Amino acid sequence: MFASKRLSKELIKLQDKLPPGIALVKADDFREWLMDIRVMDDNPLYSGQTYRLKFTFTQSYPIEAPEVVFVRDESHPIPMHPHIYSNGIICLDLLDRTGWSPVHNVESVCVSLQSMLTSNTKNERPPGDEAFVRNNTQRPRDISFVFHDNSV
Amino acid sequence: MKVTIKEWNAVAAWRWDMPDDDVCGICRNPYDSTCSKCKYPGDDCPLLLGECNHSFHMHCIFSWLRQEAAQEKCPMCRQPFKSKNQEAETQDATPNTSPA
Repeated sequence: MFASKRLSKELIKLQDKLPPGIALVKADDFREWLMDIRVMDDNPLYSGQTYRLKFTFTQSYPIEAPEVVFVRDESHPIPMHPHIYSNGIICLDLLDRTGWSPVHNVESVCVSLQSMLTSNTKNERPPGDEAFVRNNTQRPRDISFVFHDNSV
Repeated sequence: MKVTIKEWNAVAAWRWDMPDDDVCGICRNPYDSTCSKCKYPGDDCPLLLGECNHSFHMHCIFSWLRQEAAQEKCPMCRQPFKSKNQEAETQDATPNTSPA
């Protein structure tokens, strides 16, 4: 109940007005939403691309962080970034148990990811990407990331 | 002319002494409304003001602070969240606990 009330408020706002480069794609229920983001400056790594994010909420949202991953399909690649694995899993402190705060919301997460891409200049995946993507069976929320890189 | 009042009904309005348009950052309901779990606003669903001057519905901030991941920090500024009133009580109690 906590989650659905808060999410219905967010949905009304998202349907009304969104920051540039952020679009609501699908929100049929209060469990899983799809959002599209685009990088608005001319960073050559991301220009002309649209990236799709999948938000998965628990009943305890916003006390608990949503699970947020990039999803790939024919028209939406996984953005190249040293903190984004090629399976779409994102290593970002605000999405982790210890970095999340209940005052964040779907829009603020999208804006943070947009800015994480905008400021990046490295055309690379995280170290160990191939092995991680091959072996990882955990859900992103159960992975303990170690946040060590404050430069990106 | 003499008027006799036979019956009257008083109507009163109340609101928390807070900025007009503000909502609780956790549930996004107005301060004058309830948290997402309560039915009746007011004393049954009060607000809690932190030392950092951030306030939330008491039920909202408690459900956050109960989480281990919260590390007892304010969701807004990540300073340790302490209720302002609670602090006053602690200070009052200090002289009693000091050695005689």
